[in-house]
Amino acid sequence: MRLELKGLTKKFGSFTADDDIDLVVEPGQIHAVLGENGAGKSTLMNMLYGILKPTSGEILIDGEPVAFSGPGDAIAAGIGMVHQHFKLVGPFSVADNVQLGREHTRGAGVLSARAARQAVRDVSEQYGLRLDPDAICEDLPVGVQQRVEIVKALSGPSTELLILDEPTAVLTPAEISELLDIMRSLAESGTSILFISHKLKEVQAVADTVTVIRRGKVVAELEPTASETEMASAMVGREVTLTVDKAPAEPGEPRLEIEGLMVVDEAGVKALDGLDLTVRAGEIVGLAGVEGNGQTELARAVLGLVRPDAGTIAIDGRRADRTSPAQRIERGLGYIPEDRARDGLITEFTVAENIVLNQYREAPYAKNGVVDAAAVRKRAEDSIAEFDIRTQGPAEPAASLSGGNQQKVVIAREFSRPRRVLVAAQPTRGVDVGATEFIHSRLVTERDTGTAVLLISSELDEIYALADRIAVIYNGRIVGEVGPETPREVIGRLMVGAEAPSTEAESADIEAFDAESPASGGTASGGTAAEGPDEETNGGDRDH
Amino acid sequence: MATDTQAAAPSHVDESAVVRKRGAGIAYGIIGLLLGAAALAFLGSGDETVFTLDRTLSGARWTVPTRAAVIVMALVVLACAAWMLAGIRRRLFKLAAAIALVAIVIALVSWSVSEPGMVFRTESILAGAVFLSLPFIFGALSGVVCERSGVINIGIEGQFLMGAFTGVLIANITGNVYAGMLGSMAAGALSTMLLALLATKYQVNQVVVGVILNLLALGFTSFMYDQLKKTEGYNSAYGVPSNALDGIGLGFLADIPVIGPVLFDQNLFVYVGLILVFVVWFLLFRTRWGLRTRSVGEHPAAADSMGVAVNRLRFWNVTAAGLISGFGGAFFTLANSLAFTKNMTAGLGFVALAVMIVGRWNPLGVLAGALIFGFASQMAEYLDAAGNSIVPGPFLQMLPYAVTLVVVAGLIGKAKAPAADGVPYNPGDK
Repeated sequence: MRLELKGLTKKFGSFTADDDIDLVVEPGQIHAVLGENGAGKSTLMNMLYGILKPTSGEILIDGEPVAFSGPGDAIAAGIGMVHQHFKLVGPFSVADNVQLGREHTRGAGVLSARAARQAVRDVSEQYGLRLDPDAICEDLPVGVQQRVEIVKALSGPSTELLILDEPTAVLTPAEISELLDIMRSLAESGTSILFISHKLKEVQAVADTVTVIRRGKVVAELEPTASETEMASAMVGREVTLTVDKAPAEPGEPRLEIEGLMVVDEAGVKALDGLDLTVRAGEIVGLAGVEGNGQTELARAVLGLVRPDAGTIAIDGRRADRTSPAQRIERGLGYIPEDRARDGLITEFTVAENIVLNQYREAPYAKNGVVDAAAVRKRAEDSIAEFDIRTQGPAEPAASLSGGNQQKVVIAREFSRPRRVLVAAQPTRGVDVGATEFIHSRLVTERDTGTAVLLISSELDEIYALADRIAVIYNGRIVGEVGPETPREVIGRLMVGAEAPSTEAESADIEAFDAESPASGGTASGGTAAEGPDEETNGGDRDH
Repeated sequence: MATDTQAAAPSHVDESAVVRKRGAGIAYGIIGLLLGAAALAFLGSGDETVFTLDRTLSGARWTVPTRAAVIVMALVVLACAAWMLAGIRRRLFKLAAAIALVAIVIALVSWSVSEPGMVFRTESILAGAVFLSLPFIFGALSGVVCERSGVINIGIEGQFLMGAFTGVLIANITGNVYAGMLGSMAAGALSTMLLALLATKYQVNQVVVGVILNLLALGFTSFMYDQLKKTEGYNSAYGVPSNALDGIGLGFLADIPVIGPVLFDQNLFVYVGLILVFVVWFLLFRTRWGLRTRSVGEHPAAADSMGVAVNRLRFWNVTAAGLISGFGGAFFTLANSLAFTKNMTAGLGFVALAVMIVGRWNPLGVLAGALIFGFASQMAEYLDAAGNSIVPGPFLQMLPYAVTLVVVAGLIGKAKAPAADGVPYNPGDK
């Protein structure tokens, strides 16, 4: 299918989301659309998929103008879409999700489970996307759920164009490299792909053509061979530095000491299994690892959101594992949660309320138990200016902000009081390139003022950019502590447990990694750009 | 290429793992001990419980010494409690809890009919339990259809009242009880249509609408009742034949011991209710309509992206659910051959909502839940009517509601509602 957009424009009231967009997708081509938060990429795709009606301009399929009144028309015309927030019915089986809206029946509206199952198998085989049609979607890992979405999109009557909206935002590095492989093989078999992203390395890895959109306008057409700096600058509209300047660390006394930490989750699985880690004043320790190896539990245990089953946590040399989160915050623990929608913000509260969320009981924000609204507002205005939070004002609800700006609210809150230790979990997830640059430089400043920083990130590039020491977590244990100059291959091997002692084979997910050769572990992490700007999502707020 | 990366897989609860259930074990242990101690303290060795087959084999009687029976049941409860405390496979926990509950119920039933002169009329009580489960079946099925489509219908009580009233009225006007049934269905559907319209088109809070609809129905039927009382012939009792199978020449089935009176000697409403359970189940889980309905209740945005018209489907489903709850209203008047009286549904519409939750939004679960509630209601009625029970009547009327609490808390645990239940869908949402 050859898709052509001519002068496509979408206005919401006086606001122009997309302005005169021209774009051509050739058959069998992977066409990347790059852009920052709110650049108009999602609006564009929603017009293509019939969810929104263009204000003006036209969509041509193989030269013929088309008009969609709903997603049904787009599907009939051969367009399939994988939404940024998956649209899967959680309790349904894979086959039911795929057949929804175009059910296989035996007449009289009675479903044919066998035909539905067979249809899924046919599509999976045709494109090499392994799926169990009877699996329940909500039990599947995110990467497999996405495969369901792709199969769903390909199961239309004649899908020839696939739209992938931010497909890698919620995936682990290994899942991302797998997705990129799938995209390549789909394109080889003649399917055109529109790939919406802001992760530069992924775009470089798979795209045939790159269109950069900024503020609703096409600002550049690039070859995938263009450098990352070139792409980032086109997206942001100014020069962007993708490396972080920092002086060598001068580690001081231990500030955060974790010994033998064990956390057993509800299902009886050891999420953390005797983890030891020390972070000293004035250093950034990067915790590298494939997601799901205990990082989440570690961060939550350090703050006190989960109680460890064994082991100790000490802040400034004093035991802290029996204290409440509030007491730990009091003692100077800062915490940037990995899932800001769940642990970082109360999205219904205003920006100002979120900024003082850990200090509202203290002067000057409260007097005799009454919150001083003027002081809170003043403080919020200062933070908004200092951290460049893009909001209509301090009284706006946090929910109205883009993901990157929500993250800045969290950062502003955590950086606004004296800290001894900072735990930063995935601090730049879902954050665009400009904000990432800013957050990274703040973390380094933080280190330079003597704070002990524990940086938990699933993106190796981020670890390399910031860490003074790298600890690798696998199956709830630290399997290696190495210097920042260690080659990627070595860390990649550690991340998949290749050099871990083989005696700890009790954990169930080892088999998953066996299929991964150490080398592909390395490239998988290399394929994920840490510096790439992200957009309004993170792992936690998929809406199903 | 495609290797399953299970790294982020949500870990599963191991159903065969041995766990200790301390809370439940201690609770059942205390109940078992109390039961045994009470039996020793209050029951004499002469107390007897008599079970009879009262409708088919009038000669059959079984006499059990009450104290021994209660103590045996108490021991069963204690054994279950010990099992839970010592460690039980996760998947067997519910079985143990169910056994303990059944033992408690048998003990209490034996005790309550142990007074001299009282017998447990097995067939009448079980048949009555099936009959009294009907309002719960109809109400809960209506709730299932609504909530599976994502609309909370708290107005079942109101639809019952409308159905009960309109059924009698139409039957009086036409002189035909079956026309009355159709009338009650239409009345139920009209009142849910209002809910459907407000919930889909105007996206009003569904709980508020439901409460208002209940009050509206109560006021409307009470007012009309007062008006119609002044004229003869608008509110006379109409009924259906007491054995529907007689009419089609299957009346002889009623003579089979136990299952005859329970299953084959009932009126039309019972058969409609039982068949409807399976029909609704089949429609929900085996048809295109059901798949779409469930998707709309779980994740309307996903359904919308696949071309399902979310709000239209919700509108018609809620309206259709009104046919069921309206018919359930006719139970109170036409099935019982009673005239309409003010507020005659007495809150059973709300109990039906509880049955829907106990049944986990599944018609088969609803049937099980409704039978439990029907049995509790029947026991309360029976003991109250017997008059000389050791338990006072008003206390017995609490029984169905006490059962609700025990069943919901003890057996069902955390029930999961459809994810988009009660959430209006606005297609502009992401």
